[in-house]
Amino acid sequence: MRRAAAVSAAMAAPAGAAAQSPIPAASTPATEPSPTEPEALTGGRAGSDFMVDTIKALGFEYVCANPGSSFRGLHESVINYGGNEKPELLTCLHEESAVAMAHGYFKIEGKPLAVMAHGTVGLQHASMALYNAWCDRVPVYLLLGNTLDATIRAPGVEWVHSVQDAAAMVRDYTKWDDTPMSLPHFGESAVRAYKIAMTPPYGPVVIVADSELQERPITDHSGPLRVPQLTLAAPPQADSAAVAEAATFLVAADAPLLIADRLARTSAGLARLIELAELLQAGVISTQPNSLPPIAAGRMNFPNRHPLNQTLRAVAAIADADVIAGLEIANIYGATHIFRDQLERTSRPATKAGVKLITITAGDLSIKANYQDFQRYVEADLTMAADGEATLPALIEAVRRLITPERRRAFDARGARLADASRAALANARTEAAYAWNASPISTARFAAEVWQQIRREDWSLVNGNLSGWPLRLWDFDKHHQYIGVSGGSGIGYGMPASIGAALANRKHGRLSVNIQNDGDMMYAPGVLWTAAHHRIPILTVVHNNRSYHEETMHLQRMGNRRNRGVDRAHIGNQIDDPAIDYARLAQAMGWYAEGPIADPGDLGPSLARAIAAVKRGQPALVDVVTQPR
Amino acid sequence: MMNTRLVRRVLCATVLSGAAVLSGAVLNGMSLTAQAPPQPAPAGNVEKGRLGFIRVGCAQCHGREAQGSPTTGPRLGPNGLPYPAFARAVRTPRLQMPPYSERILSDADLVDLYAFVQSRPKVTTPPALLSSDPAKQN
Repeated sequence: MRRAAAVSAAMAAPAGAAAQSPIPAASTPATEPSPTEPEALTGGRAGSDFMVDTIKALGFEYVCANPGSSFRGLHESVINYGGNEKPELLTCLHEESAVAMAHGYFKIEGKPLAVMAHGTVGLQHASMALYNAWCDRVPVYLLLGNTLDATIRAPGVEWVHSVQDAAAMVRDYTKWDDTPMSLPHFGESAVRAYKIAMTPPYGPVVIVADSELQERPITDHSGPLRVPQLTLAAPPQADSAAVAEAATFLVAADAPLLIADRLARTSAGLARLIELAELLQAGVISTQPNSLPPIAAGRMNFPNRHPLNQTLRAVAAIADADVIAGLEIANIYGATHIFRDQLERTSRPATKAGVKLITITAGDLSIKANYQDFQRYVEADLTMAADGEATLPALIEAVRRLITPERRRAFDARGARLADASRAALANARTEAAYAWNASPISTARFAAEVWQQIRREDWSLVNGNLSGWPLRLWDFDKHHQYIGVSGGSGIGYGMPASIGAALANRKHGRLSVNIQNDGDMMYAPGVLWTAAHHRIPILTVVHNNRSYHEETMHLQRMGNRRNRGVDRAHIGNQIDDPAIDYARLAQAMGWYAEGPIADPGDLGPSLARAIAAVKRGQPALVDVVTQPR
Repeated sequence: MMNTRLVRRVLCATVLSGAAVLSGAVLNGMSLTAQAPPQPAPAGNVEKGRLGFIRVGCAQCHGREAQGSPTTGPRLGPNGLPYPAFARAVRTPRLQMPPYSERILSDADLVDLYAFVQSRPKVTTPPALLSSDPAKQN
């Protein structure tokens, strides 16, 4: 109403008349001009309709939003003008959840999901999730509402919810942003933003949709309105001479090792890494969240039961290697050094002297200064600022050209040794899993084994959670969608919404999405449970409920003992107990099928089976499992 | 269970120096072979050790049954280190484990902890669910 009156007044006043009006003296109180004709209260197409045309042309299937008045025009255009289809609006109860859903969705679907939010308070809520996406190299497409023109803002809240430079607060951890000043400008910037977000290294982008631009009717003066053509950029591939040099290092090596983190952007990346590893008969380390050394948690790069997979003996494999190739690894320093967290914090090499280090990462193309996600500088012998997946075909061919029959025989012998070591490590892990098998609270190994027993015949997808590394040891991962990595920024509150976003993407493929959900993480924004139920997103969530912020408990133990005060009070500030949260009832209240708390390991299998039956009926389901600390 | 929020992303491997029986290999560059000559372990109280194992926080990383966890700390028993190496690992850990001085853990308490971890039952027949042969998992 406030804005419609101002706009209609401006439209009703003839331009000539305005030009002839005397300019009020500075001391004269400002008044709105009186309309000379009846006030127009309705109009036809609005600017936000064109915005929806643009969003539709970019192929978004969904747009997540917690509603906000600064994008009310866009909201209305999505649901009415756009028919609430492609994109369909998903009702979110927190902006952080909306962005995290987009984060998880991308890692399954391979294309971004749009999010709408207030440019001020909405973005403030969303910012941590945006940081996770930045660190995890995931494109999130964020549309922010804002009212830049101060003279048409409604008094009160609308001023509080307006900002000069909306994207400023997240510019350190987004790839690009713009504030278009016209609809043609919006069209260009919206398409440009998509292209930038989807060029490796991927990253989140922000477009500010000014409220006046959204709400003003489209007129002959709106400019030529067409959505520019989108042509995605080919990902950056490494320099051919550098690739050839890397191949020379790898073929000549006695113990080459490939460490992959966010390498496989697509299933093709996984296939290419298998091809390279088998060609070289080289060991591979991949997909080991929360591990020591802290590496390789990003994507499903390599089958965990492949004979060349050395992840379970990563420290020994790193120590043995004479050439290490880091493939899209964010923390190559951490992977090659041993860090000691005592009163004096120290690092020492985990590699042997003379090891050659190669890195291929598009991360070198997007380093910023303020936030320190780029990790410690590493002294490498050969670095390529390029996309790993795009570079693998050239590297494979370069390696293939250099292999002689003599090297092939050496490779085969090496491969046999690695296969023996891998087999022994997997067998040892199964033995270790048997300890505390019948313990209550339930051991994390038993937890993982029981879940695997229920899902192993399904087309499953682990969309969140690592359960102390046991799934890597006890499950059989060989497809790209079976593991999508972690949050990236270790910002808490990622797990539940990201897994629901991933489950949304898995839904049309008929996959069973499995979320192993940490209890503390779940409580950041549990309203996303309702979003899953409301939009009929099937997912199995199994709560890893140790009733604490356990990582921080261990940090407190370090501090207490280091100061000779002991650990007796380390639970204060970290424990989530007294009362224990009843996650099953929480989920039931939001429309989920839910059971628990389950503390007897004998009850876990049947409970999971009932929950999966509910998921197969299309319902989200939760089982709350009371576990050992780790 | 939470991941860290700290900017410095310290992983929580509270690995007892030289005490790991988890992998039977090498963990974090440390030899897992006991370096001390075999000596008879001092007699401790298993039940006191069980309570102490939780009270002084060992269970947070190694589990309430000392079964270990791949990401935080290895299994400690049965068949762990000889007592001198165990005690050295607790008093002067080499990596991330909190150091336990005598002010916060007496020698008597340490002996009880050792008695507890040594008393853990050995797995002789793994459960069917852990069979490497999927056909045997039902």
